[in-house]
Amino acid sequence: MKTFYTFILFFLSFTVLAQNEISGTVLDEKNKPIAGANIYIDGTYDGATSDENGKFSFSTTTTGNQTLVISFVTYETLSIAIDVANYKNKTVKLRESVNSLDAVIVTAGTFDAGEKARISVLKPLDIVTTAGAMGDIVSALQTLPGTNTVGEDGRLFVRGGEADETQTFVDGIRVAQPYGATTANVPTRGRFSPFLFSGMSFSTGGYSAEYGEALSSVLLLNTQDEMVEEKTDISLMTVGLGLANTQKWGKNSISFNTAYINLEPYQRLIPQNADWNKPFQSLSGEAVYRHDFENGLFKLYAAFDASQFDINQESINSTTKTRVDLNNNNFYLNASYKANLSNHWQLFSGLSYGYGQNKIGLDVNDVENNEHSSHLKMRLKKSFSDRVKLTFGADYFITKFDESFNSNEDFTFKSGYNANIAATYAETDIFFSKKFAGKLGVRLSNNDLLEETVVSPRASLAYKVSKSGQFSLAYGSFTQAPRQDYLKYADYLSSEKADHYILNFLYNKNRKLFRAEAYYKKYSDLVKFDTNVSQFDSQFTNAGSGYAKGFEMLWRDNSTIKNLEYWVSYSYIDTQRDYKNYPTTVTPNFVANHSLSVVSKWWINKLKSQLSITNSFSSGRPYNNPNEANFMASKTKSYNNLSLGWAYLLSQQKILYVSVSNVLATQNVFGYEYANTVNTNGIYERREIRPTADQFFFVGFFWTISDNKKDNQLNNL
Amino acid sequence: MKTIITITAFFVCSMLAAQTQYETGMQKALSLWGEGKPAEATALFERIASAEKTNWLPSYYIGMINAIEAFNPKNREKATALIEKAQNAVDNATLISPNNAEIMVLQAMVYTAVLVQDPMTNGMKYSGLAMEQYYKALAIAPNNPRVVFSKAEFEIGGAKWSGADTKPMCEQIAKSIELFATFKPETAFHPNWGLDRANEALKNCK
Repeated sequence: MKTFYTFILFFLSFTVLAQNEISGTVLDEKNKPIAGANIYIDGTYDGATSDENGKFSFSTTTTGNQTLVISFVTYETLSIAIDVANYKNKTVKLRESVNSLDAVIVTAGTFDAGEKARISVLKPLDIVTTAGAMGDIVSALQTLPGTNTVGEDGRLFVRGGEADETQTFVDGIRVAQPYGATTANVPTRGRFSPFLFSGMSFSTGGYSAEYGEALSSVLLLNTQDEMVEEKTDISLMTVGLGLANTQKWGKNSISFNTAYINLEPYQRLIPQNADWNKPFQSLSGEAVYRHDFENGLFKLYAAFDASQFDINQESINSTTKTRVDLNNNNFYLNASYKANLSNHWQLFSGLSYGYGQNKIGLDVNDVENNEHSSHLKMRLKKSFSDRVKLTFGADYFITKFDESFNSNEDFTFKSGYNANIAATYAETDIFFSKKFAGKLGVRLSNNDLLEETVVSPRASLAYKVSKSGQFSLAYGSFTQAPRQDYLKYADYLSSEKADHYILNFLYNKNRKLFRAEAYYKKYSDLVKFDTNVSQFDSQFTNAGSGYAKGFEMLWRDNSTIKNLEYWVSYSYIDTQRDYKNYPTTVTPNFVANHSLSVVSKWWINKLKSQLSITNSFSSGRPYNNPNEANFMASKTKSYNNLSLGWAYLLSQQKILYVSVSNVLATQNVFGYEYANTVNTNGIYERREIRPTADQFFFVGFFWTISDNKKDNQLNNL
Repeated sequence: MKTIITITAFFVCSMLAAQTQYETGMQKALSLWGEGKPAEATALFERIASAEKTNWLPSYYIGMINAIEAFNPKNREKATALIEKAQNAVDNATLISPNNAEIMVLQAMVYTAVLVQDPMTNGMKYSGLAMEQYYKALAIAPNNPRVVFSKAEFEIGGAKWSGADTKPMCEQIAKSIELFATFKPETAFHPNWGLDRANEALKNCK
């Protein structure tokens, strides 16, 4: 028993003897004291909170080498190895966390949408509640600065670039055919319904070295990482039906979305400018499957789309209309796996396969083309600290295209190509401080068809000038293989090139955002040819060039007036190019010098309704009048479209949605088609190119069935 | 034999010492919180969590304090940092104690905190996430008064917007008050809050 007491005594005295005093001061980077920081020895109760002078002291019963942890909200947590016996009156400096909300971000050229984005210009909801967008992601983006609305085409035209200068990526993997198939002067839509996407980033220039083969712009769409709940959505619309369903089990979830669209009943009721034999109809579906691993996420995205229409197209050069009968089948599959490895490594790998088939009847002739495209991608990211990250990876693009033209006189012409592009890139993200950050990257790519290798450097910097304002600068060199229409006849061409220089200012406070951007873009090696249209016997060269410069402004306010959100965007562009078969350097016909969009959404609680109004205005676009001496020297009248949308909550899960585009019935003219030859009076006659219909009316009923009675499809309208 | 006794005594002593230290720590931290010192309380809970690596309660309270702070309009600028802190604490607590209905209720509160930051953007997604937690919690602990009450309270919040009938939710709140009367927390430090709020909510029902 004696021994027992001895032991206890020994331990007690040992404890008393081993009391070590720990003390010091916690300061920030500017040597100002931090009050309220938590200082403790890891794995023990021993610790203290710093006082208003940043001072702390406490005693500990531990001995030897220990880990001292110092933490404070919005600062980086510090762990230091200390010897408890002599850690007295030391000074500890905490660095502000660059992950905090008010840290600088590199934003030049980019619009982010979605909750993960720190500065979200557009919300996922906006795509669908913007009047006139009709659930089309591309139409919603056309209300942002830097884009030109080209009503007869429907695709994205960015900063004086052609529509195919924008590449679309789903979960980081390229989509070779992002738009529905169409014919001249019938606008298309993006293939992707907003239903399955949670985040979006739209870059109008100066983007990361991770993305290549795009001269002007990239659109990055991300499928949802997690599904919130099981539910079924039913849509009944004047133009068709839709059904969506989500299932969850264990670590898996699957969502699918399918739609049948048929414009025939609608077009019987509402007069059309175009002469349809068979209006547009399509059956489409998308599905996302997700599986969570302990440290990773696997996603499989698949989409198919079968569409057809039959139209008689007018032409000034022919007294009879040309019948275009188009059948398009499209399939896209994309699989990706993302994993967090040890030591702050992150792995991403994925692949896609896309198949597009068009069968086009042109009067008595027909064209059939097939495109197989694939993208393999691998990316590794290492975070050395919160402040330094390195990303590198490799891409492999495979494209196989073939086309056959069959005339009724037994004449067949076949064309096509196989192209393989291998690319590798490296990029580093550095925070020099919470106010100053940069991104530096380089991309190397090799195209085996064109037998060329190009190096594209990219750089951007951002500096925060005040609590809410920051400047960014970006430079990048971009290349893209010539488009399909040229490559199928001429594989001796080389890639087209563009250099971007961007200066951006961003101000963001209390859910109000102001963004101004000025840019200069220089094009070189653009493809030229010497015939009326590009054809098998054209002589192609890379002798074209061009430039685009301009400035853009965006003001978005979500907070000044309760329940009202609105944004105003304005773009000015000055651009000229000498490409295609242009005789000289001029502004191309898809560019309007001034574009202005005003979008507003007003939630009226009493009526349980959301009212949305969008007005899009563009100044006149150039067109070529062969009766005049100068090429492309005339301009159309300006374009205006005022659209209204009204969503009414019948009950929490049932919504009635009504929308009308071009309420004022403005007679918009996109351009003119001129005759190839003069008439008897020596004048080239012309025909207006107008929308296929001046107005579009839409009525839909959307019903959600889920356990969570608050959920509805306001997201998807 | 002597050695065994000595060793046993040593362990008993050190365990007792640790227990007391835990109890003093928890009491002190809870009273700091009660005195309106959330930062100090969080700091102390963090120290307790660092020593008690298998106890979910310190992390639970870190999550609770920071979630509540995130709701305070005064903390608007810091809200994201507070929510992040709360979410990390919930993650830690869940690792220690999976399938814990109390932590699920807390997780739903953290989601609600995200929701109120920008209801127009976050509303749909985070109300779904919060409801999912309430349903899971209800399946595990159908008679936990906090689960019953918090779910009903959250649903009333949504009903105000949609104009749905709140009568069934009010009945649930009344039921939760009965459950509170018989609820016994495992220890003095286990969650035992909610009766006052439930009484208050029931008043607003009438």
